[in-house]
Amino acid sequence: MTTVDGRPDSATIPADVSPGAARLPGRSLLRIGPVSLQVRRRAVLVAVVLTVLLLLAVVLSLSLGTPYVAPADVLRALSGAGTPYDLVVFDLRLPRIVLAAVAGAAFGVAGTLIQSVARNPLASPDVIGITQGAGLAATVALTSGAAAVLVAPTALVGGLLAAVLLFALGARHGLAAQRFVLAGVAVAFAFRALTEVVMLTADPIDGLRAQIWLIGTLAGKGWTEAAWIAGTLLVLLPVLAWAGWALNSTALDDDTARGVGLRPVARRIGLAGTGVLVAAMVTAQVGAVDFVALVAPQVARRLVRAERPPLVCAALLGALLLVLADLAGRRLFAPTQLPAGVLTAAIGGPYLIFLLLRGRRRSS
Amino acid sequence: MLSTRDLVAGYDERTVLDGLDLDLPTDAFTVIVGPNACGKSTLLRTMARLLTPRRGTVLLDGSAIRDLPTREVARRLGVLPQSPLVPEGVTVADLVGRGRQPYQRWWRQWSPEDGAAVDRAMTLADVAGLADRPVDSLSGGQRQRVWIAMTLAQDTDALLLDEPTTFLDLAHQVEVLDLLHRLRVERGRTVVAVLHDLNQAARYADHLVAMRAGAVVAAGPPREILTADLVRDVFGLACVVVPCPVTGAPLVVPAHTGGATARPVTPSTQPADDGTIPLAGSYPSKGL
Repeated sequence: MTTVDGRPDSATIPADVSPGAARLPGRSLLRIGPVSLQVRRRAVLVAVVLTVLLLLAVVLSLSLGTPYVAPADVLRALSGAGTPYDLVVFDLRLPRIVLAAVAGAAFGVAGTLIQSVARNPLASPDVIGITQGAGLAATVALTSGAAAVLVAPTALVGGLLAAVLLFALGARHGLAAQRFVLAGVAVAFAFRALTEVVMLTADPIDGLRAQIWLIGTLAGKGWTEAAWIAGTLLVLLPVLAWAGWALNSTALDDDTARGVGLRPVARRIGLAGTGVLVAAMVTAQVGAVDFVALVAPQVARRLVRAERPPLVCAALLGALLLVLADLAGRRLFAPTQLPAGVLTAAIGGPYLIFLLLRGRRRSS
Repeated sequence: MLSTRDLVAGYDERTVLDGLDLDLPTDAFTVIVGPNACGKSTLLRTMARLLTPRRGTVLLDGSAIRDLPTREVARRLGVLPQSPLVPEGVTVADLVGRGRQPYQRWWRQWSPEDGAAVDRAMTLADVAGLADRPVDSLSGGQRQRVWIAMTLAQDTDALLLDEPTTFLDLAHQVEVLDLLHRLRVERGRTVVAVLHDLNQAARYADHLVAMRAGAVVAAGPPREILTADLVRDVFGLACVVVPCPVTGAPLVVPAHTGGATARPVTPSTQPADDGTIPLAGSYPSKGL
């Protein structure tokens, strides 16, 4: 039907639409005073389940080993009752397990941020060169006879240096996804090559120590390393709260994002900057256990059934994975201890192949 | 409402617009037309602050758009880019909700007004029934309506759309244009769109802007400016302009058949001096 001037009839439009209920499919609103946050109901469920599993894994890890401590005794010791197992639980096992949980959570956070900026589920700190930067610095420190306490700070500087290089190479195109990944791969290869050079020219014993560092291990580490990582996450907490919200809009292309009043380049720099900072810090403390950063965000995303990795669930899943990997490394071939990095990489290879096969099937 | 002053814009080495002055009327449906690469999309993108001009100013209600905070602009000016990337797995209601971004902060992620605006936008664009469907599972026409709903949720006075009907079949093109027309007439929105189809432009536009090689050749109501001369000027195409049998708006018909079988044209249908021909008796009625 058309009106006299040929324009379409407009009688089909409702005169006015009553302001309906909030349109938040699958989400609830969390109100705390003036703060209102969108929370996915499924993410809350997954987070609760993951927390329970994490606590179970921690108790299990505290209990298994030589000597074996019954879970009931572990719980009694943790409650401060004073048991004969206090030394084993608190001094020998707890520091390392807490470190595993904190480092795993940090890798989960870093992976989520890096993957969302790279728009690529295969991106992780070692794809974009942060791990290699830290690795080169640590290798130099370990093979030049520097004091042991200096290894982690040096590695941190190396990781941050790689980050600066990555941003310098990627910034010209507004840190666009493709450019970001390409720049990262270039940085990674350059640093890896330099590491090989240092390793080959070093004393074999030092080279072996560097090799173990590069794989990533929690053995002999504890409160100090955990405190550095946890401190970093704590300081970045306000930024992470913003990131959790900003991640929602990374799926929009730049023009659409600008149209709704966002600044996509600034947002990418903020998200990627936070991601590489966390990645550099955690890698400097525990080495290249970074398969966790690759897998935790993707598995968390599938569990929550969201269109992008959820930050909190990815952190919890990362913590759970690393606690279990460290436990398996300690116990599978006991008394021989495998570095956690070996375990995570052993699961990482097949998972990568799975993702690639799935991707090919989808695209064909 | 929207004006440009001495606007120079382009990509890399190429200057597309060179010193463009333009005023777009408020509360009107403006359509920008022109041949490929004439700068119509560049103009729209620059006016929407998606592209930073090299020189000159875009004025939004009299103030330079680059001096306004981008969130503030997003509350006054909605933009639909040419081919927005459909985020994987995002539902319709979710995507339309992104239009509320300029009203939200990370500590204030949703308000009752957001919900009401999303509902209004989805009803207006007729996508309320699709609210829980993933956008990537929809047809092209449905998707386009969802994108328009997203910009409507922004609650802006003006709406800029870059070729909103490209890649849609005719029925869906008309559907989208009808929607834009209703927005103008019933909601008093200012609508600016780049369109490829001259006849659709003539039918829907209150104000037509014809561009060629980065400059505005003519601007005004289609019935006043759309002539065979203008089409030859702008597109380099010989044509006849007849009144549309349904709306009376100018209808552009290419004169050269290019090998296709031409109907016998009676002498009375030859274009008059102004390039238009009378509708009655234009074509032989037999055999229709």
